[in-house]
Amino acid sequence: MRWFAFGFNAFGQICVQEISSSDKRRDPVKEVKVRNPTELKGHTHESGSCVKTSQIRASWSRRASVHLDGDSCVCLAGFESPITDKSRSECLVESRGCRDAYISESHIALAFPDRIEYWDLQRKDTTPSWVMEMITHPGSSEVKLPLVPGGYISSKPPFFRSLSPLLQGKSLALAGKHAVLLTAAGGVYTWGEGSHGQLGHGGLISEEEPRVVEALWGMPMSSVAAGGWHSVCISDGGDLYVWGWNESGQLGLPSRSLRKTSHLKSYQQAGQLCQDVGTSGQELYQGEKNEEVFISIQAFPALLDVTPSCELRAVSCGSRHTAAVTTTGDLYTWGWGEYGQLGHQTLDSLDEPQRVEFFRVEQLHVVDVVCGPWNTFTAVVQGGSTQA
Amino acid sequence: MWNHCFSMFEFPPDVEITEHIKTVSSMAFLWSKISSVLPSNEEQFPLQFGDKVESSVVEILKRSRQQLYSDTASACRMLNAQIILDISWERLNTGTWRHVDKEWRRIYSHGCLFKVGALCRESPSEEEIMQAIRTCDMGLLMGAAIMDDILQLVVGILQSELSKAAKDEEESEHVEVKRAKIESLHIPSLKEEMAIPRIKCPSLESFNANYLLPLKPVILEGIIDHWPALNNKCWSIDYLRSVAGCRTVPVEVGSRYTDENWSQTLLTVNEFIDRYILNKIQSPQDGGKALGYLAQHQLFDQIPELKEDIRIPDYCCLGEGEEDEITVNAWFGPAGTVSPLHQDPQQNFLAQVVGSKYIRLYSPEDTDKLYPHQSKLLHNTSQVEVENPDPERFPEFAKAPYLECVLKPADVLFIPVKHWHYVRSLEVSFSVSFWWS
Repeated sequence: MRWFAFGFNAFGQICVQEISSSDKRRDPVKEVKVRNPTELKGHTHESGSCVKTSQIRASWSRRASVHLDGDSCVCLAGFESPITDKSRSECLVESRGCRDAYISESHIALAFPDRIEYWDLQRKDTTPSWVMEMITHPGSSEVKLPLVPGGYISSKPPFFRSLSPLLQGKSLALAGKHAVLLTAAGGVYTWGEGSHGQLGHGGLISEEEPRVVEALWGMPMSSVAAGGWHSVCISDGGDLYVWGWNESGQLGLPSRSLRKTSHLKSYQQAGQLCQDVGTSGQELYQGEKNEEVFISIQAFPALLDVTPSCELRAVSCGSRHTAAVTTTGDLYTWGWGEYGQLGHQTLDSLDEPQRVEFFRVEQLHVVDVVCGPWNTFTAVVQGGSTQA
Repeated sequence: MWNHCFSMFEFPPDVEITEHIKTVSSMAFLWSKISSVLPSNEEQFPLQFGDKVESSVVEILKRSRQQLYSDTASACRMLNAQIILDISWERLNTGTWRHVDKEWRRIYSHGCLFKVGALCRESPSEEEIMQAIRTCDMGLLMGAAIMDDILQLVVGILQSELSKAAKDEEESEHVEVKRAKIESLHIPSLKEEMAIPRIKCPSLESFNANYLLPLKPVILEGIIDHWPALNNKCWSIDYLRSVAGCRTVPVEVGSRYTDENWSQTLLTVNEFIDRYILNKIQSPQDGGKALGYLAQHQLFDQIPELKEDIRIPDYCCLGEGEEDEITVNAWFGPAGTVSPLHQDPQQNFLAQVVGSKYIRLYSPEDTDKLYPHQSKLLHNTSQVEVENPDPERFPEFAKAPYLECVLKPADVLFIPVKHWHYVRSLEVSFSVSFWWS
């Protein structure tokens, strides 16, 4: 399995430009905004063999690669990562033997077979800021961060937050200020901030406790994801449901700000802020009834036709964009594109799903996608096979 | 000051300086003026933020600061400034506005300052200066004051640069401003017995005893006649254009804020005047019918020059708050703007400067007849359309007694705290409200 990435790279979290004699021809904008899917360099083991990356987790300024082969460990790239050798990203010594990682802007959580460790990335501590011992039952399923036994970990104190055992969480998506939980039975629960409809309960009200998304009741889901102000999930049948804020087209529904004439672009973004500040929730649920209906806030889950013919197998959300993988190995992206995070080799935002042609052209089969806030990481295999 | 300005240019040694100056256009001097209000070097430019701000964000701020004091392509400057604006924008939009950490508002202001740096460093075009002014305004509107309110200083420099340029070329297109007619807008026939009483310049004691303490509405006459805005600095369209034309302000679009298709947008004062006061441009988006209202905006903090034209009424000293706690808002719009019946948590002096407004007041004692909205957000607003009430939905409304008036230039209406008020402009109108306690 190989990994490609595109989008925000101000900290070298995707790639570090080799400083060569051709220094003058460097284009810093292109280095920060990686528009073309770029292959991530693997982590080379001391023995010289290349270690495969099993999973990627990304924060705004960093990328954590989880290696499960052999000596499992986590490597960090991006902010404050020493660039010693370009072919080798820094492996965290403390992460030896770790099975999963979860990264936020300030912390990294490492899941070991017998414990969870929580490290502060901003302080150069020699011990984790928080540890949770676990009794491992043989046969119990593996921890899937940020879920931990009895609850989940949060990037802000208290680091551990409990969840009712009745919920039987299978996976949890945490975003800025809201959470989307998938239960073992395929139900979806949301809580946290609801100001932009991101909880999917039909209103703009925040919820302290997990509340079931009733509109999806009876339709088992297989995966969930959460962006800055939007949420998505895939049903067992491979359909995609979206809800929340559509400010940059991140729901794949018609977005007014994207259709506004481009000459307004310079300060439209700032304008949006004002709109929110001024109305603080009075914002329209739907656009005016002109020729076209624009969606600003979608407060209930809506079915989104990503591609008419095939099903989806994976989905992930950036702060304002969304990426989905079909069972046939295609990647579709939409939403905010200013940093190249859509992979269409432009900086345009899109309010409808569009296939990333790069992987087709290269005959690469996309099997997974993980979004950082402003960038996108994809796992691919050589066309034809679906196995890594 | 001038010494300092020159130091910012990387001129070759002494002798050649004078020659260079001649060739540099006036716009190039702009940066020397701006840099004169900036800290003189990187070390004196503070970047101190609370621990809510991650060190990765501070890293980008440092990169921007470094670029401000060194030579680099303007695209790089713009890139980092935009990253700061984008990340702080995301944080400003997370959580309710009141709960947003002030540090992120400060970061947003820094992003604006760095963007101005990117725009104005190398002989900016007029369009770039306009954009820099808009950027400063965004910082003033959304950000928090940084470095002794440096954006206010910078926008002043930019504005004077622009008006200088305008004077140079412009033949002053004399727009004939037609006096807005009172059109077909119906002026309600006022009922004598419901008229709000009027008094001329009462003493503080008598206002206090007869109106403030018993919370009785009254129109005060003769108390703002001395305002420059009503005399030598008369707030004509031309005057507002000259003082504030290129400044960006929030505008409400839609007839009333309770309407479904009501929204807020940002426009320059010139755009607002052309589109919504003079109706020069029909916006296709709103079908040309929607009203624009520069409402409830603290314009006088944003543009201190306009503040010079008004005065805080002396009667505000009867309150317990300090003078700097008084909220002064501008209300500028065409005929037909409506503020639905609502109440505010503070005492209010509504001073009419231009045009006239029909106003109706209901006592808080009659709140049960006014059908406030149920939602938490709009609980201070009545559901009733005051001048066209639905008697079936709101049967009690007709029983509520009220007071009314047409507020004319130089009138000041005292709206006691919590008194419900409904306001409709009868012509192009500019009012100033003072909220005090």
